[in-house]
Amino acid sequence: MEKILFKEKLRQWVDTLNDYEVLAPAFADSVWDYARVEAETEIDLSHTNTVNPPKQFAFPQREVFFRFERVDGVPRLTPTVPDPKPTLVLGVRPCDGRGMPCNDTVFSKEYRDPYYWARREKLTLVGLACNEPYAPNCFCQSVGGSPHSTEGLDVLMTDLVDRFHVRGITEKGLEVIERGGDAFDRVKDDDAAEVEKVHAAARSRPQRPVAEMDAVAKAIREQFDSPLWEEMARHCIGCGICTYLCPTCHCFDMNDEVTGPNAGTGERVRTWDNCQFPEFTMHTSGHNPRGDLAARLRQRVAHKFLYFVENHATRQCTGCGRCISGCPVGIDIVAVVDRVTRS
Amino acid sequence: MMENVYLPQIGRIAGIREETQGARAIKTFQVEFPDGDAFEHQCGQCAMLSVFGRGESMISIASSPLVKEYKQFSIMKMGRVTSAFHAARIGDFIGVRGPFGNQFPLADWKGRDLVFVGGGVGLAPMWGALQTAVARSQDYGKISLFYGARTAGDLMYKADIEALQTSVAVQLSVDNPEEGWQGYTGFVPANLMEKAPSSNNAIAITCGPPIMIKFVLQNLKALGFADEQIYTTLENKMKCGIGKCGRCNLGKDYVCTKGPVYSWAELKKLPQEY
Repeated sequence: MEKILFKEKLRQWVDTLNDYEVLAPAFADSVWDYARVEAETEIDLSHTNTVNPPKQFAFPQREVFFRFERVDGVPRLTPTVPDPKPTLVLGVRPCDGRGMPCNDTVFSKEYRDPYYWARREKLTLVGLACNEPYAPNCFCQSVGGSPHSTEGLDVLMTDLVDRFHVRGITEKGLEVIERGGDAFDRVKDDDAAEVEKVHAAARSRPQRPVAEMDAVAKAIREQFDSPLWEEMARHCIGCGICTYLCPTCHCFDMNDEVTGPNAGTGERVRTWDNCQFPEFTMHTSGHNPRGDLAARLRQRVAHKFLYFVENHATRQCTGCGRCISGCPVGIDIVAVVDRVTRS
Repeated sequence: MMENVYLPQIGRIAGIREETQGARAIKTFQVEFPDGDAFEHQCGQCAMLSVFGRGESMISIASSPLVKEYKQFSIMKMGRVTSAFHAARIGDFIGVRGPFGNQFPLADWKGRDLVFVGGGVGLAPMWGALQTAVARSQDYGKISLFYGARTAGDLMYKADIEALQTSVAVQLSVDNPEEGWQGYTGFVPANLMEKAPSSNNAIAITCGPPIMIKFVLQNLKALGFADEQIYTTLENKMKCGIGKCGRCNLGKDYVCTKGPVYSWAELKKLPQEY
């Protein structure tokens, strides 16, 4: 399904989704991040990308799995699987859209994660094609995506100056477009050509190259014991921001938090965790299978460009560039992959 | 497996046995489940045990799958959760998730000699397989057990091992000379080398401290065991147990789902991040 949405009618469409929690990028405190669209919100889709990817809407930073208490000496567990409102996220960039199928795979394979899927099934992602991918840090095309990829998105919008071209991708996407009714106009004959022109222009913008998927995987395998990793990780401060900002990093911790008067009352909580921290893999004995920064940098890169490829035949990197832009010491995953591949 | 894989079932500690003393003492727990909540497991599998308010730890299921009345876990006192287990009493309730992981391919080992080589608490992950093989000894050739610890007081399952003597060739060792010690004095790998079990049509299963495994492997190779004839079980830090939280991986494998049992032939192909 393809429609035209004039920009002044964006609000009209959003208003038809009154049973949805609608989130859109908003500029506040010097950054773009998703915020709830309220009645008075002026929706502004002029963001390059949001500081945080939308993975948080299926996989929040903190999630209570269940509460526990002791009743007559016996533990009683109350699961807290969420039952959220349908949630629609506007303005998702295609790189972040492509991150969601990676996360879907992780939270489905072998065991289905009921908490992730309770949110994910209610989540509709409305993408916005990048007309001007903001070089130098984005590299979607170099990892198999494109500035107008529909992968992982329910709807893809393309900005045509005064209007959006709106394409329904999934059942969920078609539903929210249908709900919009009169907010949408019919596609005119020359719209398709204009969309293609905009997409082609976006594709032609230069991006830093990343070697082909199998070549990178092979190189990482061959360079696994190379001193290169130590050299490239020497200035890493282990802050882990690369993984917290990543649209596909999914590692987490689980802990009991005591909330009541005794240890038997509390919550079991999942929180985001990070492969760049030594405690992540350290055994209770103190032995650590990934005991230095080099091993941990290698783990992050190998997970995305080797292990995920071996397990799921796709890279776990969508080229959003957040880990490059966000790194306080300038570690650059494209440069790391490039150096390993050239060695 | 319950639909909510993060929600433990409630087990009751029905028995506690002190195996060893000291700072890193080992206790063995027998855990029962209310009717209908018991689960089947395979030799080598693990379960996530929790003391609510303290957290979860992945622990090997030490009992044989043939034992239906309870699951047995031997836990060394190491950190927050295991210390909470050491403070637990009979009748206390715990959380159990599982079973997780793969299994020892006992069915594939029929007709072969089995050589179990363990050190310290490393006996526990192999114990279910050993017990199962002994119960079905007609299916296997000669079964032997090499087991050692620093001192005689650090050997676990002493009474059970004593009871095995009729059907298993047991070779016990302690690291240093000890008054009254009847068995071998020296490290497990040296004891193995001295007794030199035949590798002909045999499978070796080893579990223990990394340094022991390293020399056991060397010596098994010297005795003619091929990589495919050697099995071990791994441990890595785990949280979810279901291949998602991301910390127990060796390369592409999550030990919690693809392991913990590996043949040396398989393990050689993976990064040595264990």
